Amino acid sequence: MIQPRSTTTALALAVLLLVGGLAPAMAAEPGLTSDSIKIGFFGPRTGRVYMYGELAMNGADLVYQQVNARGGIHGRKIVTVREDDECKNEGGIAAVKKLIHQHQVFMINGGGCSNPALAARDEVEANKVPMVVLDAVADGVSKGATWIFQPGPTASVESAAQVDFAKGQGAKKVAVVWQNDAWGKSRFEPLMDKLRKEGITPVAVEEMTGEQNDATAVVLKVQKAGADAVIDVLYPKPSVVFMRDAVKFGYKPLYIGQTALTDLVDLQKQVAIPGALDRFYSISQVKVGIDDPDMESWRQAMTKQFPSDRLSIYTMFGIASAKVVVAALEKAGPNLSRAKLQETLSTLCNVDTGIYPAPVCFKPDDHGGSKTVAWIYLGKDGKIEFVRK
Amino acid sequence: MLVNLLASGLANGSVYALVALGLIVIYRATTVINFAHGEGFMLAGFLAWTLYVGLGLSYGSALVGAIAMAALVGIATERLAFRPLIRGSVVSLVLATTGLAFLLRGVARYLWGGKGSDVPFPPVFTVQAVRVGDLVVSSQHLIVVGGAVATMLVFAALFRCTRLGRMMRATAENQRAAALVGIRVERISSLTWGVGVALAGVAAVLAAPLTLLYPDMGGPLLIRAFAAALLGGLGSLGGAVVGGFSLGIVEQLTAGYVDSSLADVAPFLLIIVVLLLRPRGLFGRRVVVKM
Repeated sequence: MIQPRSTTTALALAVLLLVGGLAPAMAAEPGLTSDSIKIGFFGPRTGRVYMYGELAMNGADLVYQQVNARGGIHGRKIVTVREDDECKNEGGIAAVKKLIHQHQVFMINGGGCSNPALAARDEVEANKVPMVVLDAVADGVSKGATWIFQPGPTASVESAAQVDFAKGQGAKKVAVVWQNDAWGKSRFEPLMDKLRKEGITPVAVEEMTGEQNDATAVVLKVQKAGADAVIDVLYPKPSVVFMRDAVKFGYKPLYIGQTALTDLVDLQKQVAIPGALDRFYSISQVKVGIDDPDMESWRQAMTKQFPSDRLSIYTMFGIASAKVVVAALEKAGPNLSRAKLQETLSTLCNVDTGIYPAPVCFKPDDHGGSKTVAWIYLGKDGKIEFVRK
Repeated sequence: MLVNLLASGLANGSVYALVALGLIVIYRATTVINFAHGEGFMLAGFLAWTLYVGLGLSYGSALVGAIAMAALVGIATERLAFRPLIRGSVVSLVLATTGLAFLLRGVARYLWGGKGSDVPFPPVFTVQAVRVGDLVVSSQHLIVVGGAVATMLVFAALFRCTRLGRMMRATAENQRAAALVGIRVERISSLTWGVGVALAGVAAVLAAPLTLLYPDMGGPLLIRAFAAALLGGLGSLGGAVVGGFSLGIVEQLTAGYVDSSLADVAPFLLIIVVLLLRPRGLFGRRVVVKM
């Protein structure tokens, strides 16, 4: 009686060992099971620029919830987890470490601020985790990277577009006012390269800090140089200070902004001087407005899923980025792995999100997916309008 | 350009001067730098915004209300972060005010910030800027300078000519001797903190329409106020005022005539030079301790 029992026990043990041995092999990809894919978000969820993180994450979550409602991707439902980097470098590294090692995510859909995304880059690359950027724009986040992809227009694309816009508007004397930090530098350098390539020498190049409360000297110098166009490489606060002082001195140049100045309604509210934005044009990462009829389904989804939030341009950044993630996961097929997803992303092309200005195309040696930008201005009715060619 | 830079430097400098003055009032009474002083400035700005924009009161009412609240913040700081540690080391006092600064910032984030862009304080006067020859000055700049100078004069009168001022001076000079002559030292200490933070509050309400409000705005201003106080001579009330105005003007002239990238650095270079040549600052006195 003992022998058969021992044989049974041995067999059971063998089966258990076999299953136990196989189990790690099946679950070799962290965050991936037969019925789920875990995706990690990181970005600012709190603080002055929480919109680039929390609101974009809300948008991305809408896409994933929609996908889950359809049955998931190849039978796998998407599960998301969020980490706050507070738009700080150390926060970016900590958030990514937590996502990879603690939450064991399969991939990352994150990066709202450029600086923490740049700081976290090495961690992502070292752990070979595929990452699709939410809305950070510094080229360095994905340039030369293997595992990181930026679906939206990057800083160099924006800088080149600013110069082209100035030329297109017939600007004769161009001034550059830029913010002297890592974010500003990531835009300033490609901007100056593009100006050199176009044979344009700016009549004034002035610096401001993100905390500056007075722009008298900068405005007077730019005005004295006779600049008819100002390429604005500043965050909203210094931009507001510059514009207020410009109005004071009766200086009304053509302003050419970038994606940090996308919310023109809010910018006008902060400048608080009627007509101050009359000649202000800025780049948008998206080609449709929040009031566009095509956005109705997203507006309804927002009301349902995030009643305390509303559809905003930042939500749309997240929606667009998540659509690229979904396209890549679908194309990668049911036998998913991190390596396979990376390979798929490297050649993913013609993904029309309906939000980014043009279809997204990645190349193995160029992980910047968008080369086109949209231009916006504040209409007479106080609503954001798109510049139509 | 020169006159406009000077005008702008005076306006900014008057804000630095008021904040530095409050810092030094407290320093003279306690020999402690209040590291939560910038947060008093920030809170007063937000309180003014709440009263003026949120509740729709007049700018004058917002000014008075916010300054009164700032004074209460100062008194509370003395009660919560200074008095319980008065017999502790200076390090404990510094840490206590630093901790309070973080706490106040957190409160401000919870109440007014932390969820989006900076809070704009609408311009109080919509009249066009005043033009005299090349000089262009906005009405708000005139109000800032005028209000700051008036506040300094009122403070000087209070400090020199009133009984309260004399008691504050006596307490700052020698607490034990002040107590011996019947001054209620603890009460005067509380009031001194209240007056000190209220001065920062005046600066905040005057400057609010020129800037944007955000919970972390106190830190950079505290550094400038501290620099102004050092430049003038730590402990000198007049020195803090002169230091503040000098700082504002140097910032503007550097940005205008040297390089805008050096505007932030120049005042501190100036301080290093002044302290190397005159370690006690411009108006600081040598303290002689008789054994």
